[in-house]
Amino acid sequence: MSGRTRPIDKLATAAAKCSKEGAVYGKCIVADYNNVYKDKCATEFMKLKDCYLAAYKKR
Amino acid sequence: MNTISIRAFIPPLTRRCVPLRSVRRYAVQAPGAPTLEIFSHQHKWMQKERAAADVETSRSVDHLRDEVASRLCERLMDINRQFPHVLDLGANSCNIARMLTLPSEDSPDAGPRSKRVGKLTAADSSETLLYRDANLAFNNEIDIRREVLPTSELLPFEANMFDAVLSSLSLHWINDLPSVLAQVNNILKPDAPFIGVMMGGDSLFELRTSLQLAEQDRRGGVATHTSPLADVRDVGGLLQHAGFNLLTVDIDDIIIDFPDMISLMKDLQASGESNAVLSREKGAIHRDVLLAAENIYRELHGNEDGTLPATFRLIYMIGWKPSPAQAKPLERGTGMFSIKDFLEKEKKDDEGGNK
Repeated sequence: MSGRTRPIDKLATAAAKCSKEGAVYGKCIVADYNNVYKDKCATEFMKLKDCYLAAYKKR
Repeated sequence: MNTISIRAFIPPLTRRCVPLRSVRRYAVQAPGAPTLEIFSHQHKWMQKERAAADVETSRSVDHLRDEVASRLCERLMDINRQFPHVLDLGANSCNIARMLTLPSEDSPDAGPRSKRVGKLTAADSSETLLYRDANLAFNNEIDIRREVLPTSELLPFEANMFDAVLSSLSLHWINDLPSVLAQVNNILKPDAPFIGVMMGGDSLFELRTSLQLAEQDRRGGVATHTSPLADVRDVGGLLQHAGFNLLTVDIDDIIIDFPDMISLMKDLQASGESNAVLSREKGAIHRDVLLAAENIYRELHGNEDGTLPATFRLIYMIGWKPSPAQAKPLERGTGMFSIKDFLEKEKKDDEGGNK
């Protein structure tokens, strides 16, 4: 778009830094993807989100 | 029966002005079949305009449309006749025109594919996108006329006008596909082909499933983020219903690897293909959902090398406008030999060869 970084790009770079936590979360969902309900993998997601927020702030 | 009309007590002038509650009327439906609206045309138009306004980004994501348009042109070239006037319906950025000016991939020395095409009319509802490449060199190599349509569902052309109608990657945003196909049939000359390609079936199923799983876990429900698409078996019926003859429908899967889900979504946005379903959730996708979907995508569908595949299923369709001179299938029961015997003989020969 313009010279500034779009927020979505920031999200992408920050999310890319948390691949380990992401893989844990992904495995948790994919393990039984026919039976997903709200907050099924809440603990895994909170870990991922903490990592993501830390990476997001660093930039 | 119990309603008492007070009409008689009202002076004539007032009677004309004041509609009365007690007057019974028939509930009349507007003529024509009711159209189910799935996509928001206005929104789609705005997305295309916005995407095309950023020329550089918009051009950088044209690779899929160019490739599909090229394959479509190959199908047109398979038909051995002249096409004095061709319509490109839903032209996007005139990808078909550009591909027609290039030589065929099978015979690179034979000159441009547009040899047998006379005049090309490119029609689209988004003006910015249609005129995006109007000053590029390929415009001089082909007799092209651009036409901005007020809406993509009504074709303002006369009957029996075109020698062929092409349509590349725009039919999947049409609400009333049967009507548009019938109109296409009307504007074609007798015994002229319609060759179209649209997204269908399992296109972007990876994105669809990841977003669904992510929303299910994060928010406890699913919203519409990807369009409902026509399936291959629907397309044959649609064409037949619109009055086409000698149908050919085939599919082609193009799988593109993206570094991450956000790049895929940005590319879709840059080509003006973002979600425009009427019942979509307004506003951006929640960040938690995006973050979750990205990782589910990687885990569920990701390649070994860390890239994410995105499948585009293209449905090609060819239908011919009926004409008395056209080749017809033979009468039932006029077959000279049984296909069963023939196939069994083939099979025996094959087995014999293997021994």
